[in-house]
Amino acid sequence: MADVQFRDVDKVYDNGVQAVFSLSLQIQDGEFLVLVGPSGCGKTTALRMVAGLEEITDGTISIGDRVVNDLTPKDRDIAMVFQNYALYPHLSVGDNIAFGLRLRKTPKKTVDERVQWAARLLGLTPYLDRRPKELSGGQRQRVAMGRAIVRQPQVFLMDEPLSNLDAKLRVQMRAEIGRIQRELKTTTIYVTHDQTEAMTMGDHVAVMRKGELQQMDTPQKLYSDPKNLFVASFIGSPSMNLVEAEIERRNGGLVAKLADQELAIPAEVASLRPALAGYAGRKVALGIRPEQLEDASIVRDGADGNRLRGRVLLTEALGSELLAHVELSGRPVVTDDVLEGAVELEDAMLDDLAQKAEEERTTFVGRFDAESEVRPDHIVDMLVDTGKLQFFDLETGTSIRAG
Amino acid sequence: MSTSERVAEVTVPAVAERRQPKRRRFAQNWWRHAVALIALVFALFPVAYVLSAAFNGDNSLSGSSLIPRHVTFDNFRTLFVGQKNTTGHATFQNAHYASWFANSMIVAGATALLTVLLGALAAYAFSRFRFRGRRLGMLTLLLIHMFPQLLAVLAIYLIVLNVGDIFHFIGLNTLSALVLVYLGGAMGVNTWLMKGFFDTIPSELDESARVDGATPAQVFWGVVLPLAAPVLAVIALISFVATLNEFVIASVVLETQHKFTLPVGLWQYIDQKYSEHWGPFAAGVLIAAVPAALLFAFLQRYIVQGLTQGAVKG
Repeated sequence: MADVQFRDVDKVYDNGVQAVFSLSLQIQDGEFLVLVGPSGCGKTTALRMVAGLEEITDGTISIGDRVVNDLTPKDRDIAMVFQNYALYPHLSVGDNIAFGLRLRKTPKKTVDERVQWAARLLGLTPYLDRRPKELSGGQRQRVAMGRAIVRQPQVFLMDEPLSNLDAKLRVQMRAEIGRIQRELKTTTIYVTHDQTEAMTMGDHVAVMRKGELQQMDTPQKLYSDPKNLFVASFIGSPSMNLVEAEIERRNGGLVAKLADQELAIPAEVASLRPALAGYAGRKVALGIRPEQLEDASIVRDGADGNRLRGRVLLTEALGSELLAHVELSGRPVVTDDVLEGAVELEDAMLDDLAQKAEEERTTFVGRFDAESEVRPDHIVDMLVDTGKLQFFDLETGTSIRAG
Repeated sequence: MSTSERVAEVTVPAVAERRQPKRRRFAQNWWRHAVALIALVFALFPVAYVLSAAFNGDNSLSGSSLIPRHVTFDNFRTLFVGQKNTTGHATFQNAHYASWFANSMIVAGATALLTVLLGALAAYAFSRFRFRGRRLGMLTLLLIHMFPQLLAVLAIYLIVLNVGDIFHFIGLNTLSALVLVYLGGAMGVNTWLMKGFFDTIPSELDESARVDGATPAQVFWGVVLPLAAPVLAVIALISFVATLNEFVIASVVLETQHKFTLPVGLWQYIDQKYSEHWGPFAAGVLIAAVPAALLFAFLQRYIVQGLTQGAVKG
């Protein structure tokens, strides 16, 4: 067991492309850290530098109290699970799992015990004599896990280990990896582009973009208090609704004006964000999570709350809830931060977004209770939970907080 | 495999059969059988003649019929124990066939083994490592291979002659010199072939093994080579057969009867000097074909596709 530290780590590839910029991270002993970000953000490169598969251009990475920059992978006492599993096809499952131990000249008896232990932990005991090609995707994934845990290394490195599985199996293995990690208490760095995976698995999540660390926090903190527009739009599904709003002073308080509608900003929100008052008379990016919106017609005592009115474009009934896409006037935030963070959107939708920005129309997604009876083309009043409003500077994209 | 795929596999040929009754199928396809038959006859014709000549008592080629009139093993006896003077032609007092055969096996075996080994080492470096001169090295290999080795016969002779003055074990009239020359000849194309195959082995396997604690040597011997078995087998076979057949360079490098390889030795039977003894020649060729066939039978099980199946998600 050991902690892992990145200190000002840079990575420049031979062709001059810089993949990681001055990355500093601290992963505690026994912690499960998820590195998340859109493709090409440098997360896999960062992981491979810990593994020793990529050279570190500048800065240091240490595991425990050893700086590992110049150590070969085999001397780092780490294990890695690859995206495509990378099982040795000419070896049986048992030999695959035992491979690392045998290279270390572990006594045969210990090897057998450890392989049996790992196989039991992963439910692979009946398959030990099979070849990888005779296994299903999920079983191969387990073998890859087995090969990692059997050596009881100081650190597990996992590079999108679930991305080749189908959706249902992914959810199951997600829980299983979490369980095994908690059981073994081995420091783990897990790379994924899937923010749901990041949120559900990590003790801490580090969001990266274009080689730079954006924010490292607990999943809850990341969700409720994103540091900038990129993190705000990347974390959460459906994404945070972001719209341009003008801050105005009124009766000693602040209101946010979206085109022809407005939301009063509660005093406690304003006091948490003292810098917000300085934006009076200027435009900011206002962020509202889908679950902060509710169909006003099904809320009994919501008569005097803050409301936004819009026209329903389409609804997605999920059984437990209803996602309503509601169009209202106001200019959507379409800075690079947001476009890159909104990885779930297709290109056509992005074009549509730009078009709407021209026309000063924006689409909010509301997570309504399943009781809601809104249908496309209805005009709906949405009750807004203003206690969790987010504000970002339009220029810098950073969250507006203290002065 | 899903159930639906399995069903599809079974039903498609069945449907095809129902649509095309057997008789009509033959009416449409007879020409394919004809082409196959012609190709078969064309391929087997020389084999039939060699077989015939090897067991034929009459020693001339043109006069004999395809089915020998007197089936005899005299030709084989000639190869191993020599021949008494019966016809007034020059005789083979000393039979050297056994040593030619042994020499050929040694040379072809060593060449095949070392070609695979050295080629694999070079190909692995070209496939996996990025180093200065990698591209240039590959192109040079290809370029050198464009020139037939035959062009270099004079140079090879001089080199072997002079090197032999210092290092006797690789001088003229040694098998090791011949092996060295052969190794240089085929290295280029073999390296290219193997590099192409290595490129298809996912590099994650190397990386995985390195993280598991393997040294570069262990990665090479333990992971990459076993997976490259098909291409290694093919190259071993090709280079074994090519070496077994090679005549020109062997005849330049080797000088004495007990050092000759099979092509050089057997040539004497049909050389003008001794007039034409097709019988023993054919018998010798027939025996020489046995090890190549055995090697093929042995390597066949490695020459299979899809060995890397299951390594990565596919």
